[in-house]
Amino acid sequence: MSTPSSAQDLSRTWSLRRPERHLLAWCLLCVTLGFTLILASMQAEGRDLTAADLAPLLGYWLSVIGVHLFLVAIRFHGDQVLVAAVAFLAGFGLLAQYRLGAFTGPDVGPFDPWLFPAGVLAMLGTTAAFMGGRYRALAAGPWVWAGASLLLVAVLLFTGQRFRGGVYALGFTTPTEVLKVSVVIVLAGFFARHAQALSQWDRWLHVPFPPWRPLWPLAAFWAALAALLAVQRDLGMIAMLSVTLLVMLVAGTRHLGYLAYGLLGAAGLGYLLLAVFEHGQRRLQAWQDPFADPTGDGWQILQGLSGMYSGGLWGEGFGQGSPGYTPIAGSDFVYSVVGEELGFVGCVVLILFFLIVFARGIRIAEHAHNQVGMLLATGLTAVMATQTFLNIGGVTKFVPLTGITLPFISHGGTSLVTAFAALGLLLAVSDTAAANPRLAARPTPSARAKGTPKPKTQTGSRRKRTPRPRVDDGDGETG
Amino acid sequence: MTFPSPFELFGALVDSRAWPALRLVLYACFLLCAGAILWQILARHRAGLGRGQAGHPWWLPSLPLLGLVLLFAAVLGYQASWQLTGVFRPEFVAFMQSHDRRDFNPAHLIQRGRILDRAGEILAFSDEQLGQVFRLYPYGPAFAHAVGYSNPRFGATGAEAAANTRLNGGSVDNLAAWSELGRHLLTQNKRLRGQDLVLNLDTRLQLTALQGLGSRRGAVVALRPRDGAILVLASAPAFDPNEMGPDLFQGGNPATPLLNRATQGLYPPGSTFKVVLAAMAIEAGFSGTLHCPADGFTTSRRYPKIRDHEFYTAGRRWAGHGDLDLTTALAESSNVFFAQLGVRLGHDALFAAAERLGFDRKVRLYPGTDRAGTMSTGRIPRLAKSDQYGLAQASIGQGRVLATPAHMALITAAVANGGLAMRPRLLADEPPTPLAPYMAPATSTRLTKMMRKVVTSGTGKGIDVPGLAIAGKTGTAENPRGDAHSWFIGFAPAEDPGLAVAVLVEHGGYGSAAAAPIARDVLVQAKELGLIR
Repeated sequence: MSTPSSAQDLSRTWSLRRPERHLLAWCLLCVTLGFTLILASMQAEGRDLTAADLAPLLGYWLSVIGVHLFLVAIRFHGDQVLVAAVAFLAGFGLLAQYRLGAFTGPDVGPFDPWLFPAGVLAMLGTTAAFMGGRYRALAAGPWVWAGASLLLVAVLLFTGQRFRGGVYALGFTTPTEVLKVSVVIVLAGFFARHAQALSQWDRWLHVPFPPWRPLWPLAAFWAALAALLAVQRDLGMIAMLSVTLLVMLVAGTRHLGYLAYGLLGAAGLGYLLLAVFEHGQRRLQAWQDPFADPTGDGWQILQGLSGMYSGGLWGEGFGQGSPGYTPIAGSDFVYSVVGEELGFVGCVVLILFFLIVFARGIRIAEHAHNQVGMLLATGLTAVMATQTFLNIGGVTKFVPLTGITLPFISHGGTSLVTAFAALGLLLAVSDTAAANPRLAARPTPSARAKGTPKPKTQTGSRRKRTPRPRVDDGDGETG
Repeated sequence: MTFPSPFELFGALVDSRAWPALRLVLYACFLLCAGAILWQILARHRAGLGRGQAGHPWWLPSLPLLGLVLLFAAVLGYQASWQLTGVFRPEFVAFMQSHDRRDFNPAHLIQRGRILDRAGEILAFSDEQLGQVFRLYPYGPAFAHAVGYSNPRFGATGAEAAANTRLNGGSVDNLAAWSELGRHLLTQNKRLRGQDLVLNLDTRLQLTALQGLGSRRGAVVALRPRDGAILVLASAPAFDPNEMGPDLFQGGNPATPLLNRATQGLYPPGSTFKVVLAAMAIEAGFSGTLHCPADGFTTSRRYPKIRDHEFYTAGRRWAGHGDLDLTTALAESSNVFFAQLGVRLGHDALFAAAERLGFDRKVRLYPGTDRAGTMSTGRIPRLAKSDQYGLAQASIGQGRVLATPAHMALITAAVANGGLAMRPRLLADEPPTPLAPYMAPATSTRLTKMMRKVVTSGTGKGIDVPGLAIAGKTGTAENPRGDAHSWFIGFAPAEDPGLAVAVLVEHGGYGSAAAAPIARDVLVQAKELGLIR
């Protein structure tokens, strides 16, 4: 938590975050409009509306206002656009889930209405805890995080239950979602320490070769993690984390050779996994030719596409579609419901907002004050982007289905809360207070020296920008 | 006095007549709102970069972001190929028409093109009643196999399946189709109109053929030897594509109305196969005679003798054919002659002929289609070299030799077309293409004369009509399930063939009794209609 400071700081932050306030107000208007349309369609279907039906909208309003006030209260000086873009996405997800009956209906769990507030709390907690450069403490012990990650997957493997080809823990939660954050922390810590050694390549018979000595602990961790996940048949998670590993490796060392070897390795590993797993082969076949077995393996993807075809360019309108015909519409196939009800236009809007989130993530990485921050931001953005791509690409038959959720939109407790926590961490990295001596708790000089700002200022930063050492709202503007 | 609650007011608004318009306005507001947020974010980004370094255009994203933008643009582009122009994916449209239960799916509202016969008679059309589109077939069961059906519950077969893309308006090969597509994309009009399809079938001939079959099971195929146009493709019994129910597909019906006997039904060809043997003999240079005793012929004492039908009908006094030449043997349809001939020509000659005449294949009846629009040809399994009796049986179209009526019609048409088989085609606008040379022109000339003699003085003389020189061959195929199948293949006029016919009547008895009159009726009517000279 931030240390108490003068009322002058508070009013300064309040005026600094005016653009965020502005954008969030637009988000509230937008989501309220959508909510009204959904309520109307429910009314038209003959349901009697009560005050309880307004609860999700009320919750959204309170959450958004609460987030803004909280960020001002803790003198948060980080990214503002990211907050607004995610607020829109989360509102969009809330509309989709509300429309699909996640809040009202016979099979609503006792915790379901509280998922969204819980996610927001997780985000705010993470931001408050790690802002002001404190996130560097996370990178201190990567092997603790690595051990915890492996332990989590192993425990789940022994205690979980199988359902739809995956492994779930009690109450159908998927604790492996936590890996999306914990593995990024492991990698950030590891690369922050060994970036120098990792970027010095050997030559063997004139072929450039990565340095083996600093790399092997990571390789061992990765092999163990991938093996455990493969046993759980979570191929989507392996793909997602491997892409993240590769992106962070290249970003941390600035050595494109890793990309070449990584792609080779990914091709080999993918082939191997597909050769071993019948489950993956069937998905691959259903992807290549869903019409070979339209009522079996191809059913899900074809129903999703049929829904989108029905939606056309403009969609059927809020609450006007029949997403009930698409299997697991709420979680993996929520994008096809968007395509059905809001049409191609709605999909484009959704993807634009996701791209804004990724753009902000990349920007935060570029402007991070130290290596750990850069790596964390890069990794978290890579996870989110890969997850979004694999989900949307899977639903539109662009890539094979991997059974992973769409961040902020899909129904899924652990997934939603983890996505918010990851966002909180990203926001914490974006907080410029670390460089501002007047605000927040300052890290000790020794801690600052640890994080090497080298790639930012000297090595091949593609856009030769130096971070401005002054109060920055994270947007290149002072408001 | 109580005020209505806000929910009641809201309900009244939703139920009011103004709501549909208001709903659209609110929806537009939602999209505008989202657009406004995007615009503001972009403006901020632009302003932020404007104060940064010069030389970097504000709209150009950094390299990693550019990669992501391109990646997601590719996803959206691919998505559009399904969501906006899915009509170009015929399998997808067929899937939606049969498996998607969303009432508002435009695939259900596609006004499929009509299917017409060569004279413009409507064989299938779509009609919209109460917001639902129905597919109707004016001739009911008559074209159930050739035209097929397109049914939201049961999928599509026949021409409906083979030309699905065109009928759904999914193939844009002319200007009208392009403008229709543009209209569809711009207006999102759900009433998509497909293209009409003209078949080579002739309704009057088809009905004559079916009338001839009556309540018997069988098939009639007629095609023009010159260009392969299929004028008759009839299979009985059939079903009514206007009134289909799940019981049709449950099986167990011995009449198998779903089976297209013309293109898929495999039957022993019986004596009609002797035409193939005769062609082989002519090409092998066979001349002279073979002795045909009344008692019959066999390759080994262990097997029953192959005899001529006169042995059974004429009784003990019949002295046998004696020495027969090829022409007379074909006219009299002598089993004893052709069994000996086949054994003499040998296994290799038979399989070479099977290869040449395209046995064991599928021949497509529509351009560029898969399994939906093909006909099966006959089957001649490879016999062991030592199986001389099997060879003798095969030589008279019995044993393990099988053929579909469509394949026999194709062989007949090849004889009538100087030995060259033209690809059979149902679509009127498909250009004629040669399929394969089945025999040498000289062979076909001689075979034509021999087949003419079958009708003037042989087994087929019952159907000889003045004014139309029919050439043909009868067939009576023994089978284990009951009475012999009745076959007739033929064409007319012999000197300038305009139409080739193959008729099969299941368990119809002698070829000359059941099948030949149907073929004659079809040919005679074709002459009356001016289809042949």
